[in-house]
Amino acid sequence: MTEERTSPPQLRLSGGVFTFSVLRLESLDPGQLEVQLKTPEPVKQFLHNAPIVLDFLHLPDQQLPLRPWMDILRAAGCFPVGIRNASPAQAEAAAAMGLPHLRGRELEPALQETPAEPSACSPAHTTGTGVSTEPGQILRHPMRSGQRHYARNRDLICLAAVNAGAEVLADGHLHVYAPLRGRAMAGVMGQEHSRIFCASLEAELIAIAGIYAMPDPGHPLWGKPAEIALEGEQLRIMPLGT
Amino acid sequence: MAKIVVVTSGKGGVGKTTTSAAFASGLAIRGFRTAVIDFDVGLRNLDLVMGCERRVVYDFINVIQGEAKLQQALIRDRMLEKLFILPTSQTRDKEALTAEGVARVMDELHGEFDYVVCDSPAGIETGALRALYHADEAIVVTNPEVSSVRDSDRILGILAAKSRRAEEGKEPVREHLLLTRYAPRRVQGGEMLSLEDVKELLRIPLLGVIPESETILQASNQGIPAIHMKGSEVAAAYEDVVARFLGEEKPLRFTQPEKPSFLKRLFGG
Ligand SMILES: Nc1ncnc2c1ncn2[C@@H]1O[C@H](COP(=O)(O)OP(=O)(O)O)[C@@H](O)[C@H]1O
Ligand SMILES: [Mg+2]
Repeated sequence: MTEERTSPPQLRLSGGVFTFSVLRLESLDPGQLEVQLKTPEPVKQFLHNAPIVLDFLHLPDQQLPLRPWMDILRAAGCFPVGIRNASPAQAEAAAAMGLPHLRGRELEPALQETPAEPSACSPAHTTGTGVSTEPGQILRHPMRSGQRHYARNRDLICLAAVNAGAEVLADGHLHVYAPLRGRAMAGVMGQEHSRIFCASLEAELIAIAGIYAMPDPGHPLWGKPAEIALEGEQLRIMPLGT
Repeated sequence: MAKIVVVTSGKGGVGKTTTSAAFASGLAIRGFRTAVIDFDVGLRNLDLVMGCERRVVYDFINVIQGEAKLQQALIRDRMLEKLFILPTSQTRDKEALTAEGVARVMDELHGEFDYVVCDSPAGIETGALRALYHADEAIVVTNPEVSSVRDSDRILGILAAKSRRAEEGKEPVREHLLLTRYAPRRVQGGEMLSLEDVKELLRIPLLGVIPESETILQASNQGIPAIHMKGSEVAAAYEDVVARFLGEEKPLRFTQPEKPSFLKRLFGG
């Protein structure tokens, strides 16, 4: 009888902010991606169940079949959730497959103007998101296998060990004043000036702005204090404090 | 008021049940009213190791489901007057361990005992979570191998995040490392991680080291907790563990390979 009974429940929409990994496609040949995805175990673990956005920036503006890309990514255990930097035709093809064209935040120009040695100034200047006067976040307890911690919009300072199988992420710098044995990612939103500092480098994986490396026990700085920076497309590992 | 101690590890077959039986017995020898509970529903090993399997009428699950009173299910130990065993069921599944049911039993034990020792199943699923949820202290049983250390690390993370103490924002669960099945000779040969390696990787206070020993098998075949195996290294090692747990200082033993005797060295062993 009453209106409440017949009207359907209201839609409940709310906003949310999520972090996706962006995969830059470098060639029109899906086979190349397939080879690249045959990565060592820590990267595989990182990619497992990860939502992935495909970046078309480096691809020519031509139509391309999307299905093979999707199949390769699914086989690697990740979920393609969208594309970016696509041409209108590419975007249309993606939409037909249920992949939206995303307009995620690009690096802000202000960011790229940050001085070449941002670690010398306060972290507030280097997180570069406009909300960044917050001091870094401090973790006092060890990060243990299976645990994950993400410091959004700021630095992360770990006072105890980050153990194998644990994962620490920060939009800014990452400081680990103890052995770093797990996976460490700085500049998660693409901040290329972010750095990783650790008291003992024993990491399974290190990454800055999505560029990763797996230091191996043969590295001269293995087990030693190290600083890691992104230079061009490569991570540079250097002794800490020299 | 009882202190609740979980014996946990993540990995199976590392010595949790052996340790639960020996440790609970050691506390009772010291005069503490002690209950030891088997949380490993489906496997049910504790009553065998304690030698009381023939006296099981009702179990933990019966109590949780209201089919028996706690007093009916608790079995008094053959050897120690102050020790009681709460066995588990072999035929039910882990889902029978409801959070409310476990909380009720813990509440009831709280008033009656000084210590409640919870023998955790392997893994990081329901059974293990139920066993560690109420803990005040945790004995993390670890073997000197990489996979065991990794699983212990994982369970330490879970203790820090999912225990009742963590959820209620209280003092964290007190963590103790117990290295078991330690074979100094194999450590020396590089087949196993050393005590130092494990301490460095896990970074929690060491409660003790139990050597790998045939005695454990003999004890469990006879249904006698290892701490009663008079004159053996493992009994002495478990006695030290109980003493340290109670705050006494004890030097570490049984962590070095035995030196061959003079005669053996002379004539070749
Ligand atoms: N210190 C030890 N030396 C030799 N064998 C051991 C030792 N501790 C445990 N064991 C054996 O290892 C097996 C697993 O032990 P158990 O206590 O049941 O482990 P869990 O409860 O962790 O699964 C059993 O066969 C037990 O006899
Ligand atoms: Mg067991």
